[in-house]
Amino acid sequence: MNSTSAPAKSGLLSFRIKLLGVMMLVVSGITALGLYLAQRQLATNAEQDLEREFQGEVASLHSVQKMHRAALAERCRVLARKPRIHAALEDNALDLLYPNAKDELRDLMDRKDENSDDSEVPSLHAIFYRFLDGKGTVIKPLNAKDVGELRPEEESQLTLDPVPAEGQIGYLLRRAGESDETIDEVIAMPIISNETDQPIAAIVVGVKPVELGRHRLATSIKSGIWLKGQLHLPSVANSSQAMLARAMASPDRAERSFRIELNDGPHLLFYKQLNPNSRFPPAYEICIYPLNDVLTRQRQLRWQILGSGGILLLGAFAVSHFASARLSTPVTKLAHDSAENRAERERAEAALEKTSKDLQRSARFSANTSHQLKTPVAVLRAGLEKLRTHENLTCEGREEIAVLIHQTFRITSIIEDLLLLSQMDAGRLQIAFSTVNLSHLLEAQMDDLSALPDGVEAEVESDCGDVHIAGEKHYVALIIQNLLENARKYNRPGGRIRISCREEGDWAILMIGNTGRSIPSPVREHIFERFHRGCVGEDIAGHGLGLNLARELARLHGGDLRLLRSDEDWTEFEVRFRLSRQVAMIGGRVS
Amino acid sequence: MKFRCSLFFTAMFGLVSESSFAQAVIEGRVELPKTSAAPVMIKRYEIVTKDGVLATKPPLAVVYLEGSFPRRNSTAETQMLQKDLTFAPTLLPVQTGTRVAFPNLDDTYHNIFSLSPAKRFDLGRYRPEETPIPSVVFDVPGLVTVRCDIHEHMRALILVLDTPYFAMSDPDGRFRLSGLPSGRHTLKAWLSSKTTLERPVELTRGTTLRVNVP
Repeated sequence: MNSTSAPAKSGLLSFRIKLLGVMMLVVSGITALGLYLAQRQLATNAEQDLEREFQGEVASLHSVQKMHRAALAERCRVLARKPRIHAALEDNALDLLYPNAKDELRDLMDRKDENSDDSEVPSLHAIFYRFLDGKGTVIKPLNAKDVGELRPEEESQLTLDPVPAEGQIGYLLRRAGESDETIDEVIAMPIISNETDQPIAAIVVGVKPVELGRHRLATSIKSGIWLKGQLHLPSVANSSQAMLARAMASPDRAERSFRIELNDGPHLLFYKQLNPNSRFPPAYEICIYPLNDVLTRQRQLRWQILGSGGILLLGAFAVSHFASARLSTPVTKLAHDSAENRAERERAEAALEKTSKDLQRSARFSANTSHQLKTPVAVLRAGLEKLRTHENLTCEGREEIAVLIHQTFRITSIIEDLLLLSQMDAGRLQIAFSTVNLSHLLEAQMDDLSALPDGVEAEVESDCGDVHIAGEKHYVALIIQNLLENARKYNRPGGRIRISCREEGDWAILMIGNTGRSIPSPVREHIFERFHRGCVGEDIAGHGLGLNLARELARLHGGDLRLLRSDEDWTEFEVRFRLSRQVAMIGGRVS
Repeated sequence: MKFRCSLFFTAMFGLVSESSFAQAVIEGRVELPKTSAAPVMIKRYEIVTKDGVLATKPPLAVVYLEGSFPRRNSTAETQMLQKDLTFAPTLLPVQTGTRVAFPNLDDTYHNIFSLSPAKRFDLGRYRPEETPIPSVVFDVPGLVTVRCDIHEHMRALILVLDTPYFAMSDPDGRFRLSGLPSGRHTLKAWLSSKTTLERPVELTRGTTLRVNVP
């Protein structure tokens, strides 16, 4: 046990370390994955939020544009119905167009400044308006003050050839001074003849564009307009403007978003065309969202997640330590048990080996002893025989010597029995099976019995058919002899011995019963033990080996010997043998 | 109605009968543009615009003789009525210097005006019983589109001609000009604001020339 515990301990330790390592690896992996996912989610969410905000603002812009257009279209319908406008356009009295339209469009130009800045709903208050003739060229007003002044190059940008059949939205970059630029939204609406349903002219109205994010809280978000390769984003520094211009050089889609690195950090840029499907040059609304805040927040969150990940890791370390200890307990026990088992087994094996050696030694010893005993007994008997024939002996002396000679026979018989038993114990006794005629054997044994000199008279009844059993004649005879001798020995004077045998299935059953005192029941269990002599018959010769030997031999033959009954002046034993037709099956060595 | 017709015919033929040396006559037929419209039962023509071209519907022609004729001193007068929210006639040829009165025979206001280069005028709103009847003298030859500022569909054409010899065709295009001076002239047929056909004619006193245009 002590020798195995050191490697077991080190093995356990490495098992625990491995378990701990795997658990830590799993926990760290999960933490890292969580960190990565959370960060990505945050970044995506932030960008999505910004984009949603942008899209929402552009959508509201579009709805305002739609309102503008609808209002203007209604105005144009009204204008087209005006006979004077119609007449001016149709009768080529274009000089009269603006004066005639002045009344109708007066409120268009009227600026109610006190309302327009505060009102939630943008009103359609024009900065300028112009008529386009049937070919789409601008009709010059007589007095530009009434309709909003425009530079000639600005005015020429309003031309739409041919005159559009549907409303168009455009953007017009206007310069009031060198640095002062404004962009006006331009809405062109056809004036459709109510007679021919053809556009006969158009009116172009310039309005102040809706500013995005008027109600935005974050002032760092900048929005502007990209028009004809030029950026109108006054609040951004010039250098950044150039970078933006490069990024926006060729807008390939109507809307997009991308990251852009400006001088003051990374920004998210969204753009969306303000006037899709318009015949005016495309204009894009641009929004720039500084990502510094978002990145700062991301960094904070990263540290938070890292911190909590560390704590988690520590917790996991503790938990996994505990868990590995718990998990390794059964393993420890197993290892301990197995070490104990091994020691026990080794002990048992050693004991077994020792026993086996002892057994062999004892068997050898008894065999040797038997042989060594037989020789002096034979010498003794020969001496006694010689002595009996001596002439000088008295009659009493001769009697005495005869008894001594008888005793030497008894000793020889005991030695032989012991030899046989020791052979059986050592597993060396082999039965050479053959067919034995049990009835012949019985007759021979009965003859021998009657020839015995002790002169116990007993009536022998025999009831045996022709029964053939499988066995070795010598040993079967020994069994029968032992039983018959007992039956005679323990009989009462004038008693009976009954021998019967029969076949029952595969078995030959031989029963030998005798009259006489019965064996008390507490003793019955022990009568087959070696060197046991029943409490009865102290006066009866015997050495307590006969029944044991007979039973062992019967079992070696594949059968058995047992006490059938012992009461009321009748004791009966039963031996069973295999019938001889089964010799082949039993064959070989029976041990 | 009778009153209107008599006025109309006075305006048409008064000029011709007055002429002392007009002896020649031109009769003929103008090939009018084909129209799918049903023949006009009541004499009512609309002024239509198609691609900026004004014409009557169904088509009518104004045939006149162009040349250098002595100007008339006195101012002739004729009328263009506003009745049932239309002008009558819808196409009115007049000689230069003719005063056209625009009596309002409806129960509502009208505001007759024109932005045509040949004559710009605006009579303002007036009621049916307004006196004197608002009138305009047309002193420049050309086509004048007359409209009402209140009723956008109302439209009429006044063709101001620098000749006293003119006539309207009938719906089939047939016409007759009589009392014409002899000599070489140009016969013109106005069909629309864009189309005026012409043929040179040589007239001799007391003869009737048959001319088909084109």
